[in-house]
Order: sequence, then C-alpha cells, then structure tokens
Amino acid sequence: MIVCVAIVGHQNNPLYIQSFTEGDDALKLHHVVHCSLDVVDERVNNPKKSGPMLNETYLGLLYPTENYKVYGYLTNTKVKFILVTTDLDVKDADVRNFFRKFHAAYVDAVSNPFHVPGKKITSKTFAERISTIVKAFGLSSAG
Amino acid sequence: MTDPASTPLGRMLMDEISPVVMVLTTPLVEAACQKNGLSFIEMLSPFCAFSNIDVPVRTASDQPYRLQKFKLRLFYASDIRQPDSQVARERLLEVITQAGEESLDLHTDAPQTDDLLSRSEYEVMPSWFKFFNKELIRVVSFSDHEAFDHPVACLLVVSTKDERPINRFVDLYNPDHLPSLLNDGAMDPKILKLYLLVHDNQDDGPENTTKLLFEMKSTFGVNVSQLLCINSSQDGLVEHLQNPWISPKSYTSSTLRLGHFLNKDDVNEIRDLTQELASKHIIPYMEEKVRVLNQQVSATRKGFRNQIKNLWWRKGKEDSLDASNGPMYTFSSNESQIRVLGDYAFMLRDYELALSNYRLISTDYKLDKAWKRYAAVQEMMGAAYFMLNHSWKESEHCMENAFNTYLKNVPAGHQNATRCGLWWVEMLKTRDQFKEAAGVYFLIAGEESLHSAVMLEQASYCYLYSKPPMLRKYGFHLVLSGNQYKKSDQIKHAIRTYRRAVSVFKGTTWSYIKDHVHFHIGQWYAFLGLYDAAVIHMLEVLMCSHQSKTTQELFFKNFLNFFQKTGKACELLKLPLPIIDASSLKVVFEDHRTYASSAAVSVTESLWRSFEEEVIPSLSTARTNWLEVQSKFTSKRPKESNICVVGEIIEVGVEFKNPLQISIPLTGISLICELSERSDDGQTDANITGGMLNDQDSKLAADRLLNSSASVVLSDVDCVLEGGSTTMVKLIVTPREEGILKIVGVKWKISGSVSGCYNFVANPMKNKTATRTRKHKHSFSDNLKFAVIKSLPKLEGMIHSIPERVYAGELRYLTLELSNKSEVAVKNLKMKISHPRFLNFGSAEHFDINYPACLQKITGSKRSGPMPMQREGSDSVFLFPNDNVIRKGSSLSWPLWFHAAVPGSVSLYIVLYYEIEDIECSMKYRTLRMFHNMEVLPAIDVSFQLSPQPSTPQKFLVRMDVTNQTSSEDFQMDQLSSLGNQWEISMIDPLFHPPLLMSGQAFSCFFMLKQRHEKSGDSEEISSLHSPIGGDVKLSTKDDDDSLFDVSLSPLSDFHNCERLYQEKQSEGGSHTVDFILISHQVHNKNNPGVSHSPCFLSNHACHCSILGSSPISWVIDGPHEIFHDFSASFCEVSLKMTLYNSSKTVASIRINTMDSSHLGDSGSVFSNQEGWYNVPLESAIKVTSDVRGTILKSLLWESAHPTIWSASSSTKLQLGPGSMAEIPLQVCVFCPGTYDLSNYAVQWNLQPLGAQQNPESGPSSGTCPGYPYYLTVISSSSG
Repeated sequence: MIVCVAIVGHQNNPLYIQSFTEGDDALKLHHVVHCSLDVVDERVNNPKKSGPMLNETYLGLLYPTENYKVYGYLTNTKVKFILVTTDLDVKDADVRNFFRKFHAAYVDAVSNPFHVPGKKITSKTFAERISTIVKAFGLSSAG
Repeated sequence: MTDPASTPLGRMLMDEISPVVMVLTTPLVEAACQKNGLSFIEMLSPFCAFSNIDVPVRTASDQPYRLQKFKLRLFYASDIRQPDSQVARERLLEVITQAGEESLDLHTDAPQTDDLLSRSEYEVMPSWFKFFNKELIRVVSFSDHEAFDHPVACLLVVSTKDERPINRFVDLYNPDHLPSLLNDGAMDPKILKLYLLVHDNQDDGPENTTKLLFEMKSTFGVNVSQLLCINSSQDGLVEHLQNPWISPKSYTSSTLRLGHFLNKDDVNEIRDLTQELASKHIIPYMEEKVRVLNQQVSATRKGFRNQIKNLWWRKGKEDSLDASNGPMYTFSSNESQIRVLGDYAFMLRDYELALSNYRLISTDYKLDKAWKRYAAVQEMMGAAYFMLNHSWKESEHCMENAFNTYLKNVPAGHQNATRCGLWWVEMLKTRDQFKEAAGVYFLIAGEESLHSAVMLEQASYCYLYSKPPMLRKYGFHLVLSGNQYKKSDQIKHAIRTYRRAVSVFKGTTWSYIKDHVHFHIGQWYAFLGLYDAAVIHMLEVLMCSHQSKTTQELFFKNFLNFFQKTGKACELLKLPLPIIDASSLKVVFEDHRTYASSAAVSVTESLWRSFEEEVIPSLSTARTNWLEVQSKFTSKRPKESNICVVGEIIEVGVEFKNPLQISIPLTGISLICELSERSDDGQTDANITGGMLNDQDSKLAADRLLNSSASVVLSDVDCVLEGGSTTMVKLIVTPREEGILKIVGVKWKISGSVSGCYNFVANPMKNKTATRTRKHKHSFSDNLKFAVIKSLPKLEGMIHSIPERVYAGELRYLTLELSNKSEVAVKNLKMKISHPRFLNFGSAEHFDINYPACLQKITGSKRSGPMPMQREGSDSVFLFPNDNVIRKGSSLSWPLWFHAAVPGSVSLYIVLYYEIEDIECSMKYRTLRMFHNMEVLPAIDVSFQLSPQPSTPQKFLVRMDVTNQTSSEDFQMDQLSSLGNQWEISMIDPLFHPPLLMSGQAFSCFFMLKQRHEKSGDSEEISSLHSPIGGDVKLSTKDDDDSLFDVSLSPLSDFHNCERLYQEKQSEGGSHTVDFILISHQVHNKNNPGVSHSPCFLSNHACHCSILGSSPISWVIDGPHEIFHDFSASFCEVSLKMTLYNSSKTVASIRINTMDSSHLGDSGSVFSNQEGWYNVPLESAIKVTSDVRGTILKSLLWESAHPTIWSASSSTKLQLGPGSMAEIPLQVCVFCPGTYDLSNYAVQWNLQPLGAQQNPESGPSSGTCPGYPYYLTVISSSSG
C-alpha cells in the first residue's frame, strides 16, 4: 500500500506531499521524504552507477526504513518524485509505471497557467488524479 | 594506510584486550595506600601501561619479535565478575544527566552545520560519548566464554604490619573468595601467583621487612616474591609535577593531595615493580602458555587425520546438545584451550596466530551451535583482521556475522551485540564509511530509550561526517534522538539535539518539520522554566498557516501562555504575527495640499499635481530642468522631509494580514513616533533609528514614546483579525509641537498580553548590495519623516447636496461652502474644475435665485436673469472676486451648476487655491482638493433626423426620436429649441402635444425647420442682444408663456457651448448643421407623494445635426438596457440583436466591425497616456472611471483595460438585397458593473452598382457609419 507520495522541487523544497494513511503520521512521512532527498543527492552525484542509465529518470529503491520502502524518480528539471510504500516486494516495473503516470499528472498540473512555478501545487484536480493513480497502483500490486 | 594500532579502534582493542591481573590485598595494605587517597590498584594502575617496554617475545613461531606497548589491567578479585547491569545503568544515567547540565548553555547559539563540518569529529561529539561507549563495553566484560578477561596472574599483597604475613599470603588465596570464573571451571584455577609485601615507611624501619622478605622468598620462591616500600615522605608534602593519579579520579575534589606521601623513590619503585611484573612474569608466562597450548592444539587438531576425527566426533555429539547455549566447555576442553591460545596470542600481538586459532574454533562452535561463543570468536576474528590490516572486507564480514548472530541466535545477546556494534562502528569510521557506521548505530539503538537516544545521536554525527555530508539524515536522527531523550526524561539533552537539528532545517520550506522542532524546543524550555528561550522558539512557529486550525490554536495558546509566564508583559517583541506589508503603508498628511474627503486622498498625486499646475503659483512648480528643481528643493527643505502642520492629523494606513485560520484579537494598535526638536542634527537621529531593531532599543522606543506623549497625540485602535483576512487599520498621529516628527513603527498587543512592534524603517545594515535598493529605502524612510511647522489656516469645503446618482441631462443648482476655522484669514481664492461639461461655476448673482424659475424667459425687455459668465484666465479656472476674504470662523458660499452631460461614471476633480494672509507663515498658499464620483444613468435618448423637403429648399422636416431609457421614471418634455439665428422651428401640428414619456417608451414627433432669410437689420439686432435667437417650441401642455426656457441664459448656454465643443468632433461640421436642445422634466410618481423631490430639469443637447441625407443603410440594436448580474460568480454576457435595413435600390454588402480597443476611431488618445488635465472626451472618461467605480481609484493600470469585450465575431459580413432586412446577433461581455456605451463598432456598407450606369442622385456608393450610442447598465446583483 502506498503510504505517501511527494514532489520535491529542484531546490529541495516540497511542492506536494500527500499521505494516504488514516493515522496521524504526517510528520514522520515528511521526515522520511526529507531524508530520502539525501539519497537522491547521493545517487545523482555518484556517477559510477549511471553509466548505461544516464538518461534514466527512475532512481529505484532509495532506502528501506524500518517499515517503509522509498522509491525515487528524478526528472530532467531536477524535480523529485518520492513514493513511500509499505509493500515489501514491489515489482520494479509497477513502480516505474506509477512514476510515469505521476510525472504526467505533474506536468499537466504545472502546465496550468495559474500555477506559479516553484510554489506548492494546490490544484484539487491534481490531488484527485494522484489519489486515483495511487489507488490503481494498490490494485495492480495486490492483483 | 594508517597503522591499525594507532586508530581509535586499535587503541581501544589494545586497551580492552590486555592481560588481567587479579589482585588480592589485606585491609592493612589498603589502609597504607589510603593515606594517599588511593586504593592499591589506583596507586599502581598509572604505571601499568607501558609505552616502551621493549620485551622480546617468541610465540608459536621461532621468530622472536619485540613488544613495545603493553598494558596490564589490575582488578580486585571481588570485581572479577560480570558487572551488575543495574548498577551500570545507574552510572550511565548519572553521567548523562551531568553532561546534560553542562550542555544546556542558553547563551550560546546552537552550532551551525557549516561550522560543525569544519571541525573534526572528535571536537564536535560530546566527550561523554566515549565514556558511555566504554561503559557499554564494560558491561559485558568477564564473561566465561571470552578468555582475554580471564586473569593471567594473581597478585597477593600483604602488609608488613599484618600479623604473620606468610600465613596471610596463604589465607588470601582462599578458593571460597575467588571469582566464580576460577571455581566453576570456566578457566584454569592454576594461575601464576605473585607475592608482594608492602611496607609503609612511616611505621618503622626496614629491618623487620628484610627478614620477612627473606622468609617469603624461602616459602614461595625467589622469583615471585617482591617488596614494595611506600609512604617514604614523612611530612606528606610531596608535590608531583605531573600527578599520574589525577586522570582516573579527576572528579574528586582534592586532587592535589593525591599521592602526597609518595616521594620520587616510591614512584620509581612502583614503576619498577610493575615493569618487572609485566616483563619478567606475565609476558614470559603467557609465552610459555602459548607455546604449550599451541603444541597441544597441533597434536589434537592440526593435520588431516585430526580434522576427520574432529568432524566425526562432533557429528556424534550433535543430538545431545542444548541448542541455544552450546555445551558447557570447561577449561580443559579442546575448544576452550584453543580460545585461550587465540586470546593470549592476540594479547601478545601475534595476530596471525590468534586469527588461525579463532578460525579453527569458530567452525567448531558453529557446528556445536554454541552461538554465543561462535559470535564472540567471529568478533575477535574481525578484530584480528583489523589489527593485521589485511582484508577490510573480511573484518567487516566477521563483525557483521558476529553482530547478527548475537542478535538472532543468542538470548539476551543485546549487550554483546552492542559491544560488537561499537567495535564495528569504529572499524567503519576508520575507513571513512560513516554512512554505514550510522546504519550500525541505528541497529544497536535498541529498545531502551536512553540507550537508543545516545546511539541515534552518534549516528547523526556519522551522517554529518559522511562524504558528502548527509545533512537531512543528520537532522532526522537528531530529531529521533531528541525524541528518545525526551522519553527518558533527559529534557536538556533533548533540547540540545533539537537545537542542533534546527540549523539543518533553517531556511528550507519544510515547514511541518521546522514547526515540530521549534514547538518542542519551546515546550521543553517552558517545562524547564526557561520561558524566555521558550518564547523565542514559539515565535518561530507562530506563522503556521499551513497547519490545521487546531494546531494553530495550540501553537498560539502555548505562545501566549509562555509569554505570560516570562513576566515581561511590557516588552515589545518583533512579532511575525500579524504580517505587516511595509509597502502597503499609506501615509496621508496635509502640507500645502489639503483634502476635502478621503476619496480625494486616494486620487493619484500626479493627477492632482498636473491638474493644479494652472492654479498654484508658478514659482514652485515651474521646472525649467531637473537640476534646478533639485537645487531648489534642497535649499528649501534641508532634509527633504515632508511638511505637516501642528494640530493637523497624519493618517497612516497599515495593512495587517492574518495568515492563520484562527482569529487574532489585536488591541491598542498605535504608531510609534518620535518628535524631536528641529535643532537636532540629523546625524544623531539617524543613528538612533538605525539601531532600532534590537529588543533593547525597542524598549527605548517605548520609553521615548512615553516621554513624547505630551507633544504627540496618537490614536489607539482595537480590532479582531479574522482568519485569513487582511485589515487596513488607520492610525492617526497629531503633532502638538513644532519639530521633526518621525513615524518609526507600529505596535500592538495580541490578546491583551503580548506586545508586538514592527519597524517601518528597514534595517539599513541589511541592504549592502545594490545602491538602487538603498536609495529606495532611504526615500521610504524619508516618507515617514515630517517637519512639523506651526499651525496654519485650513479651509474646509464641501458641495452641498451633490448627487451620487443622476439621470443624464439633469441640470442642478449646487452650493459650495468654504469655511475657515483657524485664526488667520485667507484670500485670493481660485478654483478649478476638471470637467466643465459637467460642473460649472455660477456667478455671484446666482445667489438666492429661484431654480428653475431663473432659467425662464422673461417677457419684458430688461433681462435680470443670470448672464453668461465672463471668465478671466483659462476656461476652467475661476477666480473668486478679490474682496472674498474668508476670516476666522466665517464661511463662504458659492453657486455651482451641474449638468449630467453623458451617461456613465464621472469623476469630478475640484481644486481650490487660497493664500494665507499672514505673511510670516512658512507656507504662502494651500490648496483644497475635492473629488466627487457619480454615476450618470441614461435617461432620455434623443436623436434628430433632418430631411430636406424637396419642394421648398429652405424647409426641413425634423424627426425627433425620443427614448426613455430608464426603467422606472417618467418624463415630460417641455421645450425644444433650435439654436442659431438662422433657424426657426415649429410644430407641424401646433395642437399636438407629446404625451408623458413613460419608462422604456420611445416616441417620435415631427417638426418643421425653416431657414430664415438673412436680413441685415435683424442680424445686427440679434448680435446686440448677445444671444442667438432660435426657435423655441413648447411641448408641454401648460398654457403658460412664462414657462418657456431661455436657452441663451447662463448655465444652459454655457453647457451648450461645452456640448458643441465635444460633439463637434463627431461630424465634419460646416454650415449645414443645426443644434437642438430638448428640455424636459422628471414627473414624479404620484403614487408616493410623501417623497419630496426637488424640481428636476433635464436638458438634452444634440449638436451639429446634418441637414443632408443619410446613408441608405439603417440599423437598430435591440437588447436589454439594464441588467442585474452577480459578478462574484462570473462575468456577464449580454446578447444583442442588430437589425439592418437596406433602403437603397441595389444590393449592399455590409460589414460590421466591432472594436474592443479602448479608443474609438474619433475620440482621441487614451486617457491613461495623458499626463495632465486636458479636456478629456467623456467617452473614454466613462471607461476610465466605470471600471473602478466602487473601489478605490488607485490603480492606473486598470485604466487601459476595457471593461467590455465583444465576444462574438469581430467582423461580420453580409449581403443585403434592396429593401430587405437582416438580423445579426451580437454578444458582449462585461466584467464589472457600470454603464457602458456600446457604440464602439462601425458599419461599412458598399452599394453594388446597378447595371452599367450609376445614378448620380443616389448619393455615395459606399461609406462607413460609426455605431450609435447604446447604453447598457449592468448592476451588480450581489451588492443590491
């Protein structure tokens, strides 16, 4: 189950962060997302792994915390997408697919002329779309 | 590559894994040592670490090597057991609590991350970490499965004062009192025994001692017997230059007295004793043991045969084993011996030998499933690999293996795992693998909160020092650690870690995390009673607009609570709440410019200035070039500050914005001002203002405020800021004395307790980069500085009964009243009005006239009615007669005429200039600015069409089309006049009277217009009468001759001249035109006679009606005239219908162009481009003002935007057959309420030639007609 998705801007400023749990663990998830940026930075700055995957946006599993697995995705404009999930074995292809949809939704959201670049995404449509994608991911990974 | 022995782990291993000497003493020995404040072991231990012992060692191999560094660990027999974990925990707690007290230093800021990064790891980490880690390792010492903690030798110490010392030696080694290790078979009870006789030189001479020593030697052997003489100093005043005992007992008070009975000889003797102990006894003994054991192991285990045997034997044993603990291995078992061999070899630095033995035994333990032993061996293997500096991978692997085994397979193995983890961490740190080290710290954090707090904190430092630094993880782990500290009641530590974490999140936009950190620090400080510090951190979380409402309430409540507890209620804080936008500051003051209303204030200064140019003396405004202006200004106003007058208010509008969802009650909002003497030099003032940002200075400001309260009167405002709202608060300051007034800031109280202040003058230190910004700030601060001059007269003026809403064409009589309330008289009054088409001056004779009767024609020859004004100067400037001096307390009234010329919103600007009679005043003149905005509603639309009568060339048929465009009012037409002396107008049917024009009704009637024959005598007579005689047609039913209006009299003819001027542009003029004036009056509904209305006359002027025929294409636009629409929902779309008719005999191609640009083809330039006051055509003036109607007229930007847009196609083309009609839909969008003229379209027509020849009489074959006026009133339905 996806616990949290987040978009982080190129200055590591949170643009969108949404948790999908009932519990009051927003702070914890904020911390998890924030920490995972360290790993993103590390991945990006360590070119040794990125030989064949130079243009790969998907960063893969960033790090497993005690209960969560954190996946990352980095666009060409250095916008980071973070996915926090409790599923222990997730297929890489599923995650890739998820991020692709997520990215498309993000692009549509920031293409809105009323969106101020670099500011938080407040669009309701975007939020709805994200929750649909998250739900779809839950179904596909369960099935 | 560094030497492993010099790394922290190497040193730690060499410290921890060194031979243990068990010490047994008699009470008398201890008593002798206690004279020095030391126990026996404490006395010896400084000399047990040898840095250069230089002993040759030969272990299993034949190749001897020399040991340089060596260490012995001395323990009392009673201490050789597993330490009590409860006691250990308490000790740790004590250490941490003590460290917490020290760490909580309020005065220093928490170190910044950059600062931390530049320092080395060991500087940054609290020193008690080391101690803590050591204690954790010590907890697992003296376990039975690790041989390096097993005593190698036993030192028996007896004092010479003991009775029968030889017997005491024997008694001391009593198996009942020995550690359990020796008794339960975990280690060999036959250990090396050494005998030491201690003699206290203070007691008696050495004679007895020598005898005893001899006796000892004969009993126990020469080699193992020793004598130690201590306390040679009789007076106890020995000072040690470098007291070797200080370090282990540093926390006791009387450190200087330690060892004060031990003189230099004693110290040397002790040193020799320990050296001999190590080099002559312990090392050789260990060598010997290693060699023996090695031979045994080789015999039983080395070689192929032994291995097979071993394997078979173990397989057989498998079933009977206790799976968890493994078999009980006694000292004589093979496995134990190998382990002892390994440990001894390790201690003797023969790591190769140690490693091979460990490797051998680890497989055995694994097969036996003796997991604890297996893990311990793995651990030692890792250490041995590390010391050998061979394979880092191997050593790490061993450590990991050991760690995991402890955790998974060993019950209660957590303490062992912790030790293993700590070693592992050190190993990783040595290799700069800080990130992995942090992971290990995280693993050993465990359940117990204090323990895990310390581990997490250490982990955080690992992240800090990893390359590149992982600052976010550093912050996260600090927060986690702080959380654990809090759980274990170590609040001071929690604060320390959180404060460090603050630096990570500073400047980022991760506000949830930041809020959490600051809020908890604040709460913890408050818990400790440090409310000042708590408030500082709570200030950080006040701006929490992203949080939920309950959280905001919580933060806010806590903040108030903590603040009240600080007991500093009167102190001014720089509160972040509410937000004050300095750029929103609006300062209204009156120098030579005074304002009649707040609406007048809101008009842009540049508009006023250019408008005033004609009125005020040219000296101050004639700007030949900018340089001159500059010099004049500087000479006139040395500080370039604004000028205000004693006793006159300065109004400052401050916008308070509440970003939270909760409402904030603000009380006592007032300005902070300082009024200083004019003689003060500006330098010192500037200094004071510059430093205003500190708390102390703001307190100073408060003091100053109290002092200056006599000279300045401030207003106090209370308000409640609702969640998310922005409130403009108007604050007033009234200076009472002359001097320099500075508005420094604003202060307020939240919830009646917390005082906040805001400094308008930004910190000058902050802007060091661009000079442009500095200049800007400079001028900004100057705007808040006023030179207060002594009181001046001030005129107050108002126009009585000026309407806000009138019908187009309405003519009204208004009175302007000016009053002077000050002591000094004013003179030389001048007045200027922006739109003479709407508002005009009356003359002095207009006083007390009877409107509307004064406009009526007087039948007699003498004309006593008002004459057209003779104006001096400019068209729109009116000079009051010279004798009009307004004295103290008196007032002056003056008549004005108002005529609502065109529908739409109209803004009237009026400037009144007056001079002050008192010459001594620093200001010679002042101006009074008045501003009125009114809505002119369309009422009667009249148009005339003239067609020549083919029979008589001088006669024309006039068709007058009148439409009542109102929705509720009825009008009665009174009179139609044609102007110009050559025209005579008459009704076609003299008995016909047009009926009452009901609302929405249209009506046409016909007149006959006759061109008079020119007669010279007539024209002279007319010119002498000074008014053109036109024809007047009475339309009303009343049979009263007096009720005819004289259109040549003052207000009507003045306004008509204006109308002519404006309407001229719309046609090409010439002599073929005639002007009409239609006078009508409003008929009030008789249903409600209770409402009294002033008699209201409307005059409609139609000028330059062409007598030539018009185009063959005629059209009419149908659609609503008045619409109610809710603009908060969306803009308003209005559908219109255009009906076109082709009256010609040919096919016409017609094209309708709608234009959205704000200027019509003929109406001149756009208003906003003009800097100044010209006679602006009202068509554009309507657009300018109607879009900002109701709102403050502040943004000039809006003026260029057109509030209506044709939303259908911009161009429509169609073919229209002869005599046919067509309907075209049109649509227009309206964005804000108002009255709009939708005439911005044009109809182009083009007649196609009929056949080959063209009829010359048919007029032009093509042409363009501008749109007819069509007024659309859109009223906002939400506002009612």
